[in-house]
Amino acid sequence: MSRECHISSLVVHSRPDRVASVVDGIGAIEGAEVHGGEEAGKLIVTLETETENQVVERVNAIQLLDGVLAATLVFHHFEPVPELE
Amino acid sequence: MDLTRRALLKAQAAAAAAAAANVALPAKAQNIATGEDLHLQWSKAPCRFCGTGCGVMVAVKDGRVVATHGDMQAEVNRGLNCVKGYFLSKIMYGSDRLTQPLMRMKNGQFAKDGEFQPVSWERAFDEMASQWKRVLKERGPEAVGMFGSGQWTMWEGYAASKLMRAGFRSNNLDPNARHCMASAAVTFIRTFGMDEPMGCYDDFENADAFVLWGSNMAEMHPILWTRVTDRRLSHPHVKIATLSTYEHRTTDLSDMTLIFKPGSDLAILNYIANYIIRNGAVNRDFVEKHCNFRLANTDIGYGLRPEHVLEQRAQHANDAQVSQAASFEDYAKLMSEYTVEKASDLSGIPKERLEALARLYADPKTKVMSLWTMGFNQHVRGVWANHMVYNLHLLTGKIAEPGNSPFSLTGQPSACGTAREVGTFSHRLPADMQVTNPEHRKHAEEIWKLPHGLLPDKVGYHAVQQDRMLKDGKLNAYWIMVNNNLQTAPNTNNETYPGYRNPANFVVVSDAYPTVTAMAADLILPAAMWVEKEGSYGNAERRTHFWHQLVNAPGEARSDLWQLMEFSKRFTTDEVWPAQILDANPDYKGKNLFDVLFKNGAVDRFPLSELDPAYENHESKAFGFYVQKGLFEEYAGFGRGHGHDYAPFDMYHEARGLRWPVVNGQETRWRYREGYDPYVEKGSGVQFYGNPDKKANIMGAPYEPPAESPDAEYDLWLVTGRVLEHWHSGSMTLRVPELYKAFPGAVVFMHPDDAAKRHLRRGQEVRVVSRRGEIRSRVETRGRNRVPPGLIFVPFFDASQLINKVTLDATDPISKQTDFKKCAVKVVAAAMADAGEQP
Repeated sequence: MSRECHISSLVVHSRPDRVASVVDGIGAIEGAEVHGGEEAGKLIVTLETETENQVVERVNAIQLLDGVLAATLVFHHFEPVPELE
Repeated sequence: MDLTRRALLKAQAAAAAAAAANVALPAKAQNIATGEDLHLQWSKAPCRFCGTGCGVMVAVKDGRVVATHGDMQAEVNRGLNCVKGYFLSKIMYGSDRLTQPLMRMKNGQFAKDGEFQPVSWERAFDEMASQWKRVLKERGPEAVGMFGSGQWTMWEGYAASKLMRAGFRSNNLDPNARHCMASAAVTFIRTFGMDEPMGCYDDFENADAFVLWGSNMAEMHPILWTRVTDRRLSHPHVKIATLSTYEHRTTDLSDMTLIFKPGSDLAILNYIANYIIRNGAVNRDFVEKHCNFRLANTDIGYGLRPEHVLEQRAQHANDAQVSQAASFEDYAKLMSEYTVEKASDLSGIPKERLEALARLYADPKTKVMSLWTMGFNQHVRGVWANHMVYNLHLLTGKIAEPGNSPFSLTGQPSACGTAREVGTFSHRLPADMQVTNPEHRKHAEEIWKLPHGLLPDKVGYHAVQQDRMLKDGKLNAYWIMVNNNLQTAPNTNNETYPGYRNPANFVVVSDAYPTVTAMAADLILPAAMWVEKEGSYGNAERRTHFWHQLVNAPGEARSDLWQLMEFSKRFTTDEVWPAQILDANPDYKGKNLFDVLFKNGAVDRFPLSELDPAYENHESKAFGFYVQKGLFEEYAGFGRGHGHDYAPFDMYHEARGLRWPVVNGQETRWRYREGYDPYVEKGSGVQFYGNPDKKANIMGAPYEPPAESPDAEYDLWLVTGRVLEHWHSGSMTLRVPELYKAFPGAVVFMHPDDAAKRHLRRGQEVRVVSRRGEIRSRVETRGRNRVPPGLIFVPFFDASQLINKVTLDATDPISKQTDFKKCAVKVVAAAMADAGEQP
């Protein structure tokens, strides 16, 4: 099967007092990136993965981080890798 | 180019999330990509899954759904989407999708013990019609039945109701919603005289306190949970109290977590009522003007078979629904038994926490939203539990205004719209009318243009009773649509499966996939699903929403609507109606049932020219008129002018759903309150106009124990339920590989001490055994669900581990809804030879 690139985004609600550690936790997850929202406690996160399985895995990993109240998907785009690379 | 494109896509993804979250990003926000350059056609649809009613945008390319995203314009979810909705585009494309009718055959003939073979629709309906006619002739209308769903579109439920009640003259029609929210629906009628919540989701942004009664919203209603989360985080005074029998993800954000012993919620609720009364927190003015008091019959049994010892012993098993008029003093006296000590003893919750909870309700300045789902509804005293929470809101006057809201959540996309509003319960007609009420039947006969006296007056078999009657050979021709009853019914090995394979019965299942239920049938009809047909759902906040047919169903799969209407053509009135009625109404003699029910001058009123040319519409083209519009408009005639007003059909294809009653094009967010609800008379403030005296009923009832509690041998409570990634029995979601992988097999969530006591370790294979049956599963002592000692939780989606072989078929005696949350089991290691290997 040809390789794919999946780009998705989610909103991660964090306990206000744990935002810093949640940001660190997300940063440690492969392909995850925080784009802002720290002040509101609603982190804007993108995921870059090779499969949809990984999307679900990463979202679960984020949901289980200490201080995370909710992690909700918003956007999903995928295309074969040759178009990208 | 590559890196730029990747960065651009990421920026777009982030911008979409920021817009949905209403967060300003430090970097310059980008516009979201449109579908134009990718040749995608985007249309709106409600999500196929739960009762929340999120709006999704669905992209079609070359006749296939290829993508979905949260609809920014949908008020419910504002662009967000949960994991289930995220992969919606895949549910229709499972590799085992059914595409042609399959019948059990031997030597070219139908045979109950034959193997499934593909047949034509013609052949399938021939056999089905001859079986129906045989049963009707030999056994009469009461031997014919149908089990439908809160996942039917509204017009499918409506067509089914007409076919069953007016066509076959049987009220043996019930939806699987019976297992889901019958207790809620029944209590709405008993309390307010009208079904469905007075408030709406806008209450989330107006409440000061959220009390979750047994609802794990973080996992089960994740989108609504983000609205609660938003409110809690942006308004520091807001409190969340979660009551549950185990800890789960919802308790993470809760300011108060109250873990109670199964069934003791009744005592907690009554204690709070007692606290309100004793602390002078009763809103006297409100109660005097707007409430009546009643006391319920007590000792009402557990809805088991009548010969069961628990039913024999119960004083009011046969008149459980009866209540007596009472005074405030009578009610207060009953409540006075529920001291904080008693509530604490029964529930296991410390007194201080119970008092803190009671203060939320008692404080006149705190606006409280109470939320519940299956924890209350799947309860042998589910109707009482619903009453008791309304009692708290009515005593304090905290109801029917922004933020003060007792709110019953639902599990299915159209539990409200189809099961309840349309009237697919065995006791109901459209718009909350009842089959036992002669005036209501007469009204329905008039709207349906049918002879007077045609509609049957006897309440039909409810869901659990249908299974029992199939087993007993009293229900012989049975059609199941959009549900997987063999997996979801209680005590399924003893009470459900035997009925399906009873040689006296002919069982038909319409489904999109070969579920365990379909495989146990005699005839399987392949169904079109979701955007393969034009549809309508009604969500938990009275929001009615529509979608267009966006793609064609695969192979010969057809919508339930087409199946119901086409099947009706196989009958004439002479075959199904009594001679007496036909003699008195000779115009109806020898008529085709299809003509009488659907080509009746009302349903066929709108020509094909009214179809939106941008969309396909299989049923309308098959029958020659705009079927959905005709059914909807005829149905809407039941409620317009009676507080159930729907907007004109076409408006719903434009709007992102509208909350009824819709009067003069305006939806209603809070019912029963002057200024919000056009049906409330000026100067009255509040009117519960569903009841003739415009008052609501405060119903006093005691704590009574569950049907079965742990003992020396069966020493654990068993609680069943769902997990986030799977929706109900998993027929659809297990087809999505990503979801299956996230939570592949059901496990037994158990407290580490309980595991140690039984010498079990995490991951070990075990048998979960009750008096009724057993399953094999694996022990999980960590993870998202943390149970207290003495209780296990098992999710019910896994077809290979049918936990409902173990559960008890006890129901609420009033609502007939099953209690899946409380029975006694033991957990023992599986045979040594089997143990050890990790999956």
